[in-house]
Amino acid sequence: MRFFQKNKGKKVVLAPMTGKSVPITEVPDAVFSGKVLGDGVGIEPSGGKVVAPVDGTVVQVAETLHAVCMESDGGAEIIIHLGIDTVKLKGKGFTCHVENGQHVRAGDVLMDVDIDFIRGEGYNPVTPCIITNMDAVKDVSFSYGEVKAGKTAVIEYGI
Amino acid sequence: MHRFEHKIKDPNGLHARPAGLFVRCAQQCGSEVSVSKAGAGPVNAKHLFSVMGLGACGGDVITVTAEGPDEVSDAEKLRSFCEANI
Repeated sequence: MRFFQKNKGKKVVLAPMTGKSVPITEVPDAVFSGKVLGDGVGIEPSGGKVVAPVDGTVVQVAETLHAVCMESDGGAEIIIHLGIDTVKLKGKGFTCHVENGQHVRAGDVLMDVDIDFIRGEGYNPVTPCIITNMDAVKDVSFSYGEVKAGKTAVIEYGI
Repeated sequence: MHRFEHKIKDPNGLHARPAGLFVRCAQQCGSEVSVSKAGAGPVNAKHLFSVMGLGACGGDVITVTAEGPDEVSDAEKLRSFCEANI
């Protein structure tokens, strides 16, 4: 029973994309690496599919489609920021499959990103996945290495 | 209560990155800080999702209000931030 006790109440944030999870401090943008928006991981994507990392509500998709804000049913507020400085692409390279206010399950497809296009335009597709309401969560831990979208937990937290 | 208005210069508006910086600045204020734009808010300026939820675009005018013992210096700090960054 001890095993179950250990993870009691722990909630997970799954990888939103397939690729490699890296420490947020390695993301080449001071606002993310400095944890200004909150704490999390960066995903260096190897595939362009973006899935919901949690069961929850899509609070806001950026008009330029480069970021998705989600509020998890577990109480975490999460930003998935698709690439660095990609606001400048004005939506090009992104295809959105959800609407603001929509409830989704972890693993549901949110977005498709044309990673090659983004790289070709000179942008880094590394995708910060961040909990922005760090004051509302506790015992946050991160996992790094190879991850599969909607399968591998990259963040664990308690409420 | 101390308030000021600011016209957003960033053509992309108050998207995640600048909103995060603005919220960080507000969080460093002892005052209660709220922000609104015409037809939306006021919302808690220390809460990122609330600020992003305003959907403030380039050219929109936001109103920032500080309330508390340090409201004058906090409003000044926020005004400087806005002028320099958003």
